[in-house]
Amino acid sequence: MTLATGVLPVAAEGTLPPLRSRSKARRERGSTAMLLAPSAIYFVLLFVVPLVVLLVYSFYTYQNFNFTAKLTLSNYTQALTSPALRDFYFRTLKIAFAVSIVVVLVSYVYSHILMYVLPRARRILYFLVLVSLFGGYLVRIYAWRTMLGRDGVVNSFLISTHVTSSPLSFLLNSNFAIVIALLNFLIPLGVLPIFSAMQNISPRLLEAAEDLGASKLRTVRTIVLPLTTRGIRAAFAFCFIATMAEWVTPQLLGGPLDQFVGNQILYEFGQTLNWPLGAAIALTLIASVVVILGALFGLLRLVTRS
Amino acid sequence: MSGERRPPRRGTLGRVSARTYATLVIFFLFAPLLIVVAVSFSSTPNMNLHAGFSLRWYQQIATDPLVVAAFGRTALAAVCTAVISATLGLTGALGAVRLTRGRWRTAVFTIPLIPLAFPALLFGIGLATFYHAMGIGFSIWAVIAGHVILALPFVFLIMGAALERFRFSLLEAARDMGAGTFTIFRTITLPLLRPAVLGAMFLSMAISVDEFVIAFFTAGSQQTLPLVLYGRINLGVNPGLNAIGSVLLVVTMALAFLAARTSVLELP
Repeated sequence: MTLATGVLPVAAEGTLPPLRSRSKARRERGSTAMLLAPSAIYFVLLFVVPLVVLLVYSFYTYQNFNFTAKLTLSNYTQALTSPALRDFYFRTLKIAFAVSIVVVLVSYVYSHILMYVLPRARRILYFLVLVSLFGGYLVRIYAWRTMLGRDGVVNSFLISTHVTSSPLSFLLNSNFAIVIALLNFLIPLGVLPIFSAMQNISPRLLEAAEDLGASKLRTVRTIVLPLTTRGIRAAFAFCFIATMAEWVTPQLLGGPLDQFVGNQILYEFGQTLNWPLGAAIALTLIASVVVILGALFGLLRLVTRS
Repeated sequence: MSGERRPPRRGTLGRVSARTYATLVIFFLFAPLLIVVAVSFSSTPNMNLHAGFSLRWYQQIATDPLVVAAFGRTALAAVCTAVISATLGLTGALGAVRLTRGRWRTAVFTIPLIPLAFPALLFGIGLATFYHAMGIGFSIWAVIAGHVILALPFVFLIMGAALERFRFSLLEAARDMGAGTFTIFRTITLPLLRPAVLGAMFLSMAISVDEFVIAFFTAGSQQTLPLVLYGRINLGVNPGLNAIGSVLLVVTMALAFLAARTSVLELP
């Protein structure tokens, strides 16, 4: 249930009338298992097993552009101690934090507006965000390349409005371009969980607050915000995970010094064919993401409780 | 629902700035897409005010055998992903709603959603190593197998929501009147769930058409349309790019729109 309500505006849990005779119950348990089996087997075989295989490969030994099934820990020591990788990692972490925070802020204000300020435009404004969530991951990234380039629309616009006299070069092949593109495809992912959390707040609570004379700011602070923390957490986590494991955006929009951990993983898989090291870096990355998010949310809970 | 309450009154200033904010966000989200479509109709390779309207890039990609082949593969992947994930998702959800007891039910409703938040890069290299270990070659079928995993959570959510509104008493009634399991499924369950099934299939197709990372790691030489786009971006400026991008965008957006129209994604 934690993700179900956060992701899409659909309820995931159905309710069954619990009226069934005991003799039927046993027969139905069998058919329930049969109904669940195909998807469960598929899920295990093509999602769980591949990740287990990845874990196993991360212990393999790499030598001369090849790897053998001799188990070693050296990939992990390399993944954890290489100074170059540490640079990649902290660069990614910095951007992931920045992007996730901005996405949450922008999405929160947007959801608030949809919910409480412009209720009549709610449907269309929500629909547009939903559609843009499913439209053109790669196309978007590529579009920013055309837009932010030397002769791109953004520079043409800035020059024609005399904001600048010569094209700005920092727009493309920079952190700036990466952040803009990431925000561009992550904002819908932030709006969905936050809006659905806001939608679940009973209007009666807000009426009560208003009747008791609470100011709008106070209502938001004491009712809306606490009741939407789950949505905020989901939005932050989605964006943080997505950015930490991103590689297409830095590759197409960043300079050589702006590359992410993901690009290094790709390099090990595609160039050096050191799959074991690539796997080790990837698994350390995901482990660190889980630890960071866990610590962050734990801290948040402590702070909000006191 | 307790009656829709009049929204709290706001100053005009508040509403105007809210409208401006919402417009800016929407503009930011759609600007890159509009640019790509606009440039794809330009008679010059670059965005240029003096350029005229032209379909030459579309003619160019329509006669490019590589693009045409990739388009065919993308369509194949989309259809197969939709059929497989809808079948698996429907049976899975039908089984899942039968569970009433706590722990199993929570697990069955939560675990299938993990791929939603799971990074595509990790799943991509995981699949690649898995195929490598099994001796399975990279191909469009390898891609489809991965796309099904990405589409399943959405299918499962949509089916779960539809089943929540489903009147299971109808099935009991049919059974009491002597209808067999298959007859019940064919004449009652499936027709009633048709909008959800169709919507889930449209959404699965949209996901598959647009998907890049999994395809990148598992397609091998059997490139899909996003892979052709990526390859050409890396080659440098190629005006046909915008036409390919526009085709991708229009197809994905149309599918997502259809999915929303079949009312599987509840609009507020």
